[in-house]
Amino acid sequence: MKKVRSEISGIVFSIPWLIAKDHGLFEAEGIDMEFIKAQGNRSVTPTENPNDVNPILNHVPFEDNQVSIYRA
Amino acid sequence: MVMPDSPHNYPGTLTNKPVGVTFHAAAHYVALRLLEGYVPNEKIKLVHYGSPKARFEAMLNGEVDACVVMEPWITLGEKIGCKSLAEGHYLGAENASDEMDEDTFAAINRAVFKAVDMFNADKRKYLHYLIDNNPGFAEIAGRYGGITVDDFSLPRFRYTKDTHYSEETIEDTFNWMMRWGLLDGEACSTDLVDSRVASPALADD
Repeated sequence: MKKVRSEISGIVFSIPWLIAKDHGLFEAEGIDMEFIKAQGNRSVTPTENPNDVNPILNHVPFEDNQVSIYRA
Repeated sequence: MVMPDSPHNYPGTLTNKPVGVTFHAAAHYVALRLLEGYVPNEKIKLVHYGSPKARFEAMLNGEVDACVVMEPWITLGEKIGCKSLAEGHYLGAENASDEMDEDTFAAINRAVFKAVDMFNADKRKYLHYLIDNNPGFAEIAGRYGGITVDDFSLPRFRYTKDTHYSEETIEDTFNWMMRWGLLDGEACSTDLVDSRVASPALADD
């Protein structure tokens, strides 16, 4: 089995992925899929300036190479 | 989306009114695309609040006149009487690192494609994921009696099988982002998107 770690952020982006895992569709393809939660719900200071916000947002697991794929 | 008693009934009255979004994400870009048709660019006032929970709460407590949210927040808002002023859709993306090899990506997609077929054959059967796996949402929804899978509008859910972006779509999107100052001039669209894998005819270029 090939180990793959995937980031999960908004559930609405990932419903087919959750179905695939719960119904053994990844396993059938030889994929051992593990989901890692994005780092959401952090305290945010509201701002009107996009330059104040790191575009990485909560996709820290991807940036830190903890996962190899995410969706948005 | 605005509160049930909001004076706003269409996007045109949101001139210089704070709208809660997440910058550099779908809520940011869709908000601009929806509002620019009604409000002069310089009078669009977006405010970054981060998570959809924070955006929704900012609307509830009156910090913003409107918030941009996706499901299941749209359905919760509608259940408590909030008004949708505009609704937009966009293309999602799978973002893989350099460590993802082509065979593994193809195997993942085969599994996800089967799941997409399962979802589209019986959408309501799988919408529990939006409620069950969402603690931040459950906290807010619980204040209003929660929602069930029967509350969702099924046509909003549009999962499709993976495809590549057309060159026209890439170029149009790049130009739109440049007009809004969301990209600097050092990159060009062909630097940002490499379609060789999805377009075999170009693979030997």
